[in-house]
Amino acid sequence: MKTIIYTCPYVPAEWIAAHGLRPSRIIPDAAGSTGPVVPIEGVCPYVRGFVNEVITGTQASAVVVTTVCDQMRRAFDIVVRKGKLAAFLMNVPSTWQSVAAQKLYLDELKRLGRFLIGLGGESPSTDALVKIMLEYDTARTSILAARGYLTSRRYSEAIARFNRDGKSGITRDITDKKPLTDGIPLLIIGGPLLREDFEILDVVENSGGRIVLDATETGERGMCAKFDRRRLRDDPLMELANAYFGGIQDAFRRPNSELYNWLKREIAARGARGIVFHRYVWCDIWHAELRRLKDCIDLPVLDIDTAGDNETYKHRTENRIRVFLEMLQ
Amino acid sequence: MICAGIDAGSRAIKIVLMDTDSRQVIAKGLIDQGVEQDKLASELFEALLKHSDINKKDVAKIVATGYGRNAVSIADTTITEITCQAVGVRQLVPKAMTVIDIGGQDSKLVQLDRTGKVRDFAMNDRCAAGTGRFLEVVAERLGIKLESLGDIAAKSKRPAVISSMCVVFAETEIIGLLTSGTPREDIIAGVQAAIAERVVTMAGRNLELPIIFTGGVAMISGMDLALKCALQKSVTVSPAPQMTGALGAAILASSQLNRRRP
Amino acid sequence: MSNTPKQITLQEWDQRYEQLQRAGMHQPDYGGPLGRHVEDGDYRLLKLRYDNSAAALRLWNFLLTEEQRLYQARTRGKKIVGTMKDLGTVPVMAYSLDNLVAFYPDGAWWIPCVMELSAGLLSIADSLGIDESFCPVRAMLGAFVTGAHFPIPDLLTCSVGATCDDFSAIAQRLNSLGYPILWWEIPHRRSPEHNEPAVKLPGGFSAPKCQVEFVKSQLELVKTALEELAGESLDEKKLSAGIQKANQVRAYLAELRQLAFTAKVCPLPALEMLVAEMLAIHFCSDRDETVIVLKELVGEVRSRVKAGKGVLAADAARIFWVNPVADLQVMNLLEDCGGRICGTEYLFSHALDTIPEDLPPTEALARIALADPMVGSSVDRAERICTDIRRFGSEAVLLSRIPGASHCALEGEVITEVVQANVDIPVLEIEVPPVTDSIRPTLRTRLEALVETVIERRKR
Repeated sequence: MKTIIYTCPYVPAEWIAAHGLRPSRIIPDAAGSTGPVVPIEGVCPYVRGFVNEVITGTQASAVVVTTVCDQMRRAFDIVVRKGKLAAFLMNVPSTWQSVAAQKLYLDELKRLGRFLIGLGGESPSTDALVKIMLEYDTARTSILAARGYLTSRRYSEAIARFNRDGKSGITRDITDKKPLTDGIPLLIIGGPLLREDFEILDVVENSGGRIVLDATETGERGMCAKFDRRRLRDDPLMELANAYFGGIQDAFRRPNSELYNWLKREIAARGARGIVFHRYVWCDIWHAELRRLKDCIDLPVLDIDTAGDNETYKHRTENRIRVFLEMLQ
Repeated sequence: MICAGIDAGSRAIKIVLMDTDSRQVIAKGLIDQGVEQDKLASELFEALLKHSDINKKDVAKIVATGYGRNAVSIADTTITEITCQAVGVRQLVPKAMTVIDIGGQDSKLVQLDRTGKVRDFAMNDRCAAGTGRFLEVVAERLGIKLESLGDIAAKSKRPAVISSMCVVFAETEIIGLLTSGTPREDIIAGVQAAIAERVVTMAGRNLELPIIFTGGVAMISGMDLALKCALQKSVTVSPAPQMTGALGAAILASSQLNRRRP
Repeated sequence: MSNTPKQITLQEWDQRYEQLQRAGMHQPDYGGPLGRHVEDGDYRLLKLRYDNSAAALRLWNFLLTEEQRLYQARTRGKKIVGTMKDLGTVPVMAYSLDNLVAFYPDGAWWIPCVMELSAGLLSIADSLGIDESFCPVRAMLGAFVTGAHFPIPDLLTCSVGATCDDFSAIAQRLNSLGYPILWWEIPHRRSPEHNEPAVKLPGGFSAPKCQVEFVKSQLELVKTALEELAGESLDEKKLSAGIQKANQVRAYLAELRQLAFTAKVCPLPALEMLVAEMLAIHFCSDRDETVIVLKELVGEVRSRVKAGKGVLAADAARIFWVNPVADLQVMNLLEDCGGRICGTEYLFSHALDTIPEDLPPTEALARIALADPMVGSSVDRAERICTDIRRFGSEAVLLSRIPGASHCALEGEVITEVVQANVDIPVLEIEVPPVTDSIRPTLRTRLEALVETVIERRKR
């Protein structure tokens, strides 16, 4: 089965799977200092890591890139010029309130479908799409149910594994465990995490904290909304578009007020006492939200910025997290 | 009982010995940082004990803080410099609400609540352009002593614009300014303004007064003025600015000890 | 002082001004000596060199009095539209309605340069969490906060989608400070797929029809907002008339570029060419006056070209300039180093293209918006640059990187590769912050080396 890789949460795995292909949402291990994109001032480390992984290290048949950020959009140019994979650039609108924006997203899904068929995929029947959507929905539900039982890192890794491998990646070791209750409840928010950034979650726990909401793009925030089963049977593709385009809140949206509304609801529901804000240097979209987050949300905010140079920032990050938890204690 | 606070900073190691009951400072000392910082810390500690005629056994608790705190083997525990600076500054300036700490390696901004607890903080530990390292670079490049920077900068009528985020590039800019005949007072004033601007970037301007400026850079004249200018708020240099971290560590050591007493 | 074309300093302009006045120079109401603008804090003007023609004086005075013009417009009861991240689309619509004036708040990015940071706009942006890792356009935030550089608009529009992240994030920050924004989406331009209905765009591009339809729907949203603000409808007749006027501006600019970039001796300095080209975006808040200013400038350049006169040496290296510079003085510096501008791509080349007049007007505007170089791929942009390099005979490319700008970091490499592969000329990348004083020696070295390389290549 051909594998289609992507990293953006607005690419529905169900749609790729329904075409008889294997969706795999990848997370680069690290930004890396070698590869087609070397560390250049101004280049987001995540984009660098993604491009380098796509061009040099994958066995996939195709890659799907989206337009949610300017650098990723431009990274597509490099992937096309220097990579060997078939590549597809999907327009994901920044605006979301208009019918036209929603229709654009839906049309892009249909265009993606044509691309997948061109790769050897098959146009899915309604029943096949419904079946796959239900399977994914059930799998997501079981992952969400595991949140209170797994350590922060294991929970976030479970989500990442599901995104990469589909339902075969779902963890099954939660049933006989007791809920975790220790530590100061915190949420982590930001764009996507590199795999090496998952260490941050351990550092938080080792310093006396507990992540009750992984609101990074790689975590829960990057999961689509639960499907409406009735609408799903009436028009599955439309429901897929609604759940992804309408259900995933992100900083790149204009306006992005819904991200804050969502965040406030989740903070209240989960009792978070502080926010760990993770951003990459040169990621303008998230960087610009830092001060606003401090203004809008009445919780202490810890800023963790990284340029992708893990070895040098590790000590710094640990220090910051420790200070933050000292403060909250 | 006696407690000790050791602040292993990037440029110097500072130690404060404190009487746990009276909270009086018995002795304090400072030594330049080096490769063997654990050894240096131990030697300074021993020297202070000897000078104060204190037996090592009488020191009940040692808290290390600062960039190199984990390397101080004589310490019983470690606490971050943010917490220690907050406590140290509050001890010296009881009404302090905001602490700006600029050291050789990083800069920090700590906001306190009415009780003196840390309410929020921000750190610049990624870019040396907002730290004392920047001043060292300019002093080296201009061939003048660090302590003279403020007096020279005071003569500036038009501080130069330093645009780079990075000290390495900023050094090139300084060379460029020198080549183009920019007066050295304007270059120094420009560098001081650039450091102050980075504090604004960290903190915004909504800082509660009084703002207390601490850390080694607070001892360089002119920096408080640069901060005042950038923040558009009054800024007061802390008493003993280099020692506030060690003082806070000693106080926290005493508090921990007192909590454990029956 | 003679009328021979040359570049002069601001001080020399004082004498030149008196000379022109004695000779009976006609001046508009915003005219006057150039030096008076320094009193407003525009210190950078003291360090620039200017063309010595009356037409250039009018151009500069027109540029430097925009703020007053906006306040006067408001006093006269006109409504003001701030068209953000919009390089020449919504202003065409706004100026089609009598009582609207559109301006470009993003233009505040030059204030830190012109005022040599004295306005403190970048510091305000810093304090709002938008630091130097963002493009200098962050100065706009400071300008909104101080309210000192333009009147707060009655309506703010901003295009998003396939635009730069810096500006999108800055505009969102502005929105969060309480400034309502009408966001309109511009999708990433893509090539039509097999069997997909295609539409030709200005600039030699094409796009699928559905993308043009989508942009039309977005412009309809903007149109409705403009109509509500103006209190009058924007029918096709009015919009078509507005497009014709905009095309008049674009026609003058096309002629100016052709003359200036292809003349044997450079007839107009780079700085004045930059200011003139910028008029295409929003007409410096007065569309009709823009036409007059450009007409006069084109007249001056025509006569210089005819007479074989210019402002630079005939053997100056012919440089194609990519991206606008935050510090205007760098344009002078290139000329000091022995270069001249022969071709530009300041990220708004579509605003210099003729808007189709044989199409329904909204469709025509949608097509021009989709031809924006920022909206398409870096390869598209690079290929258009190559086309213009061939047209103008450029001998090297100067890629002027904008500090912090999200698009510059990756597209520079693509443009360099495409240019070298297609036209085989040297490409130099530099970065230009708002005030370059401290990096002038290193910049000079690079520019001189580029010019030397061009001269050496001529000997091949």
